[in-house]
Amino acid sequence: MRALTFILPAVTVLAFVVIIGPIAIVVLAAFSPTEFFTFPPPGLSLRWFVEFFRLQNMRDAFTLSLELALSAASLATVLATMAALAVVRRRGIVANLLQSLFLAPLVFPTIILGLALLLFYKSLGIGILPGLILAHVLVGTPYCFRAVLTSLQAFDFAQEEAGQSLGAGPLRTFFLIILPQIWPGLLSGWFFALIVSFGELNTALFLTGPGETTLPIEIFSYLQFQGSQLVIAAASALQVGLILVLIFIIERLVGLARLTRS
Amino acid sequence: MRRLAALALLLPPLIVFVVFFICPLVYLFYVSLHEASQSELFGASISLASYAAIFSDPFYATIILRTLKTAAIILGLALVIGYAAAFTIARMAPRWRIVCLVLLLFPLMVSNVVRAYGWVALLGRRGVLSTALRGAGIIDAPLAILYTSYAVIIGLLTILLPFMIISIANSLAAIDRSYHEAAQALGAGPIKTFLHVTLPLSSPGIAAGALLVFLLTLSAYVTVTLLGGPQSKMLVSLVYDAVVAFQWPRAAALAFVLLAIALAVAALIQTVLRPQRVGGRGR
Repeated sequence: MRALTFILPAVTVLAFVVIIGPIAIVVLAAFSPTEFFTFPPPGLSLRWFVEFFRLQNMRDAFTLSLELALSAASLATVLATMAALAVVRRRGIVANLLQSLFLAPLVFPTIILGLALLLFYKSLGIGILPGLILAHVLVGTPYCFRAVLTSLQAFDFAQEEAGQSLGAGPLRTFFLIILPQIWPGLLSGWFFALIVSFGELNTALFLTGPGETTLPIEIFSYLQFQGSQLVIAAASALQVGLILVLIFIIERLVGLARLTRS
Repeated sequence: MRRLAALALLLPPLIVFVVFFICPLVYLFYVSLHEASQSELFGASISLASYAAIFSDPFYATIILRTLKTAAIILGLALVIGYAAAFTIARMAPRWRIVCLVLLLFPLMVSNVVRAYGWVALLGRRGVLSTALRGAGIIDAPLAILYTSYAVIIGLLTILLPFMIISIANSLAAIDRSYHEAAQALGAGPIKTFLHVTLPLSSPGIAAGALLVFLLTLSAYVTVTLLGGPQSKMLVSLVYDAVVAFQWPRAAALAFVLLAIALAVAALIQTVLRPQRVGGRGR
């Protein structure tokens, strides 16, 4: 028993080290002044970030990922809010099935979703860009759905009825009564979908094409075919930096507690 | 009127999910039931040839067994380490608990390719660990962990561990303290209290974490490829290889073998842990 008070914190610290350590190493490597990463680094430099923005394909992938994340997260938030509003007050098998459907991409093997979409797009003739956006919407929607649903469950729907009995239509009720109270859920869902889309890998694996590649896929093909050049570390560090900035914004706007709940 | 509004709200997301999630999967299954074709996506006649090829080839059996073994090891380690960490975090003050949970959420947001790359930089022959250990005189030859199943296990375990810790910690934090007091008042020691009160009440968290870790292990193509190399392929690598070789029915059939394994294990986890006995709480 006495030993446990020792072992448990030790295991916890170790877990945090092996979870966060690899990310820290990549970020550190991005600031290397040398051709190859050595530890500890002899100094710090920004040359690999400069190199990153000089490479056309990297720049394109970064822009595409950003555009994709912004559009997919926004679409996912709209769809998820509609779904959550429709489902929140229902009970029974249909409601449960619908909830499972909108949450399914969370646990569904993403690479298989990518393969299914690839074949589906091929037979319908859907282009790369709309195909990627749709795939990212599917992957992002569950995060928004959960966040909005949690907010709606705390909402008192008597207020909606009050609004309607005073003559407000469904749209006015939503924008004047419901939205002002659930926006933190909407916003954290949007941020989550944005981050997930920006890092999305396995679904997009089959769906990108020449000249239309997302940043994670570009990083992957670099690692696979050109070895670990440090420009990859810079690309990764940019991603990590963006996530940290977004976490900071979420903290400021809605608080971190909401983030850990959804 | 209310029903009509609810239906109008439901239709757009439902259509997107049915058309772009369910239909493609049905189509994938349809493709898996055809013969391969040189010119088209798949041949004209219905056949089970792809499934037959998978189940009769010992090569596929080896890889499927390796996949199951690797996933089981990762799941076992994640359960033990994850429970210990979650137990520690759940007993912290709420403020610190949130800090820890955010520290665990942050890595989940970072793309898996970046996190796998971190392990490549750490475990490679000229990587950080190898250089450090040689510099300290602990080992003579460069580390040969990268491109083995050990690297896959280490990488996937650390990538997926936050899911396990977060779901168990949330489950533990939701347990009413008075249960422990009741158990102790009835004369149960700390070990008995843990085994008969805490552990069963945290089963929803364990089940959710185990499900996520197992399913994500099955589909982690990029991590397996970067850390395992060509020697440690898993089922998901075979799906990818079949796609690259344009063997669409074969790829589709492999995908459904993978899905069947995922479903079977999900059912197994539900049966063993019976999370539904903890009604509604603990999420």
